[in-house]
Amino acid sequence: MAGSATSAIEVIGRGHPWLSLAPALCVIAVLFGGGLVLGLAGSLGMGRGGVSLDAWIAVLSEGRVWRSLGLSLWIAFASTALACLIGLGAALLLRRRFPGQGLARLLFQINLTIPHAVGALGILWLLSQSGFVSRLSAGAGLIDGPAGFPALTQDRFAIGIIAHYVWKEVPFIGLILLANMQSLGDDPESAARSLGASPFAAMRLVLLPLLMPALIRAGAIVFAFSFGAWEVPVLLGQSAPVALPVLAWQRFTDPDLATRPEAMAIAMLIALVAALLIRVAMVRR
Amino acid sequence: MTRMMTAIGALLIAGTAQAQDGDVLLAMSWDEIVETARGGEVNVFMWGGADTINAYVSDHIGGILADEYDITLNRVPLADTAEAVNIVLGEVEAGAGMDAGAVDMIWINGENFRTMKQGDLVWCGYVDKLPNASLVDFENPAIANDFGVPVEGCEVPWSRVQFAFAHDTARTPEPPRSIPELLDWIEANPGRFTYPAPPDFTGAAFVRHVFTHAAGGADALVGPFDQEKFDAVAADTWEILNGIEPHLWREGVTYPTSITQLQQMFANQEVDLFFTYDPAEIGTAVENGIFPETAMSYGLSDGTLANTNYMAIPVNAANKAAAMVTQNLLLSGEAQLEKAQPEIWGAAAVIEPSRASAEVQEGFATLERHPSVVPVEELGQAALPELTPDWTRAIEDGWIRNVGN
Amino acid sequence: MSARWRLVLGLMLVVASMAPLLPLGLWSVARGWYFPQILPATWTLEPWARALSPRSDIPEAFVTTTAIALAAAALSLVLGIPAGRALGLYRFRGKALVELALLAPVIVPGIAVGLGIHGVFLRLGLTNSALGVVLVHLVPTLPYVVFVMSGVFANYDAAAEAQARSLGARPLQVLWHVMLPAIAPGVAVAGLFAFLVSWSQYILTLTIGGGRVVTLPLLLYAQAGAGRNDQAGVLAVLSLAPGLVILALVARRITGRGVMIGGAG
Repeated sequence: MAGSATSAIEVIGRGHPWLSLAPALCVIAVLFGGGLVLGLAGSLGMGRGGVSLDAWIAVLSEGRVWRSLGLSLWIAFASTALACLIGLGAALLLRRRFPGQGLARLLFQINLTIPHAVGALGILWLLSQSGFVSRLSAGAGLIDGPAGFPALTQDRFAIGIIAHYVWKEVPFIGLILLANMQSLGDDPESAARSLGASPFAAMRLVLLPLLMPALIRAGAIVFAFSFGAWEVPVLLGQSAPVALPVLAWQRFTDPDLATRPEAMAIAMLIALVAALLIRVAMVRR
Repeated sequence: MTRMMTAIGALLIAGTAQAQDGDVLLAMSWDEIVETARGGEVNVFMWGGADTINAYVSDHIGGILADEYDITLNRVPLADTAEAVNIVLGEVEAGAGMDAGAVDMIWINGENFRTMKQGDLVWCGYVDKLPNASLVDFENPAIANDFGVPVEGCEVPWSRVQFAFAHDTARTPEPPRSIPELLDWIEANPGRFTYPAPPDFTGAAFVRHVFTHAAGGADALVGPFDQEKFDAVAADTWEILNGIEPHLWREGVTYPTSITQLQQMFANQEVDLFFTYDPAEIGTAVENGIFPETAMSYGLSDGTLANTNYMAIPVNAANKAAAMVTQNLLLSGEAQLEKAQPEIWGAAAVIEPSRASAEVQEGFATLERHPSVVPVEELGQAALPELTPDWTRAIEDGWIRNVGN
Repeated sequence: MSARWRLVLGLMLVVASMAPLLPLGLWSVARGWYFPQILPATWTLEPWARALSPRSDIPEAFVTTTAIALAAAALSLVLGIPAGRALGLYRFRGKALVELALLAPVIVPGIAVGLGIHGVFLRLGLTNSALGVVLVHLVPTLPYVVFVMSGVFANYDAAAEAQARSLGARPLQVLWHVMLPAIAPGVAVAGLFAFLVSWSQYILTLTIGGGRVVTLPLLLYAQAGAGRNDQAGVLAVLSLAPGLVILALVARRITGRGVMIGGAG
């Protein structure tokens, strides 16, 4: 019968964590790492004889690419900020008891399970100028025809795209925060309350800082996704500028083979910008 | 162990024997080619957005292939033909098994064909092996040239299509019937017209109509690309298109991103006119409840662009013999007639009915048409030849820079 | 905030969540539903009959999508549980770097690697096959599993394993009888996440499957791209199936505090 002295050794696998990590790391290295390396190689025109920066120069000196980058950044920032804000509100709302709370929580989670393509199509048919809301408005006599309804999809401000991401990601943020609130319990806030803090102050000064790490992590995932996803802007986006991933895909499927390296360069640009911005957000925390 | 090695060796040998080297096939007689193809499969990559076309290929053609040749047809639906070109390019670049490619046949034309031909990605020189090739008039320049690129035995024609407009007779009884009329109509009906932004295929074709109009007719643009001529015509074209912009849907601030978006906008009364490169599609859309029954297609008095679409076999295709048998079947008088039936697809034939059997001739003579589809003969009276890919590419790029930015 | 206000706000939240699903469901039983009709003029089950007919691609795609998602979820659990255990339980040199590497695919957008992964798979001979699609789905699914499982193992009491060992249990017995029951809820959550992420993939399936591996999202884009809103509506409703099944399962166990699908915090 060994005592506590040997328990450290008895924990299975402690001596060699790399053994447990190796399979997952290998898969990621080959699929993900290999994809990045070949993408980079493709952007440098390798495989077509020699290395050249032509594609990068062409891409970086093109106004359209910068306008697309700007649009994608706007989409990602706006979606992340709104999703975090509403997600936080939803978590604060759903953590306390009220009639129907259980059902509300359940329904709140449905979006999490819905593919982006389905959600984007739903948003399109809901918010377009001849969509469901527009028809309701016409039925109520608020507008004369589709043109009277504000442009909420395929519009200049990417409202439809942002609406989709917010719709889809609010439950994601909300549930992560709820899980955190549950593990924190009521103690920190009650302590602040007993010291005389108002409910709002207790929430802002005590709860929020405790939730911040989880919120930033979840926000980073939302940011990266809304910055780099193709499925949503391709359905809900306008003709120009297009979101950066849509531009990359356009170049990738262009009948002119010479644009392939440019597609790869834009794809690498997306990866680079996403990684950099998230690095900055993590460090500043 | 030795036995395993032998087995693997036997498999390898069998593999090489089955691999269908193009040159070997070209040396065979047609009967030998059919025998080689028997019992195999053929992977046909084609745009998959229309049920009718899908059913015709999978059920009708696939059924005959299975019954008569024991060949399994796998139809692979694409959203964009360039995806198939990408697959072939990737395989050839990676050096992955010549004659082992995943793509046996692509429904193709225009710039994608030019890309494949220039990149040596397409198999050539086999067309006169197909017995039914004799039904086709390869002297006809509209068939011998695919968007101005000589076909030169590198692909087999399948259908003819011609650009047409569509209106809703209940909403817009008197639509504009030429490009100048259209331009006036747009100004008189602000917000009721738009076109999909190139690189959308149909949107780019619309821009080419305006370009042709600005050039003073299609004859001015025949032949290889001419930068000077392009610059002169392009300047006028952008002026016209920028001029109508304030009168377009959403004041031309943005354009639909796809022909499907325009289709939905037309169905929902956001705009009053629609156009398509395949007029049969208007009939299909009415049948499918996408358009009301009052939707009607029509041609322009100053002509609309027409093109031929083809079936090509990639240079690395694994099942070239089965692909040849399939192409031959697609060219048969019976298959072309079936395809022309309005309830099947309503696509115009590429064969000369006079060279086919009496039954097929009779069938073409008594062909019905969908009430919403403009008759092929009426449309064909003013058919404009397509521009070469150099022209179309320059026009697309120019539009994006000068109009749609 | 009063309970009544919470009820009102909760209701708004639920309505906003459900709203985009309404037109999808309506289209799946409609024919020719044009502006300004608020509800379809013609109600019909024809889109469903067509979608479920033997000629349709949809039933097969449903099976393919499910099988691929199950395989991708199972594989990412097999790979991700040991990795999550190592990250959650132990400290070792280079841990931060490993964490970054394993979570990077969540941060770097799919399209950025997707175009390059095609080249990797081409060289491995994995393009145009369901196996290749399963493997490529690991790129987005595996990080989620590692993410969830390292959190689960961070709160896991490894001392129980030591006790079992000291009582003479062999390592595999310990893993099976001690560890597995303790982490089972976490495994379920991680598996569900992986399943759903795989279920929704489009771009990776298209590039690697080369159009040969037909899943529901591919058909959804094809039908929506062809303007067949009725068929797209059917596909959209079918795509909700796993989510609804999961919710039904969870709903049976619902408690006053509510049960969460995503405990990924």
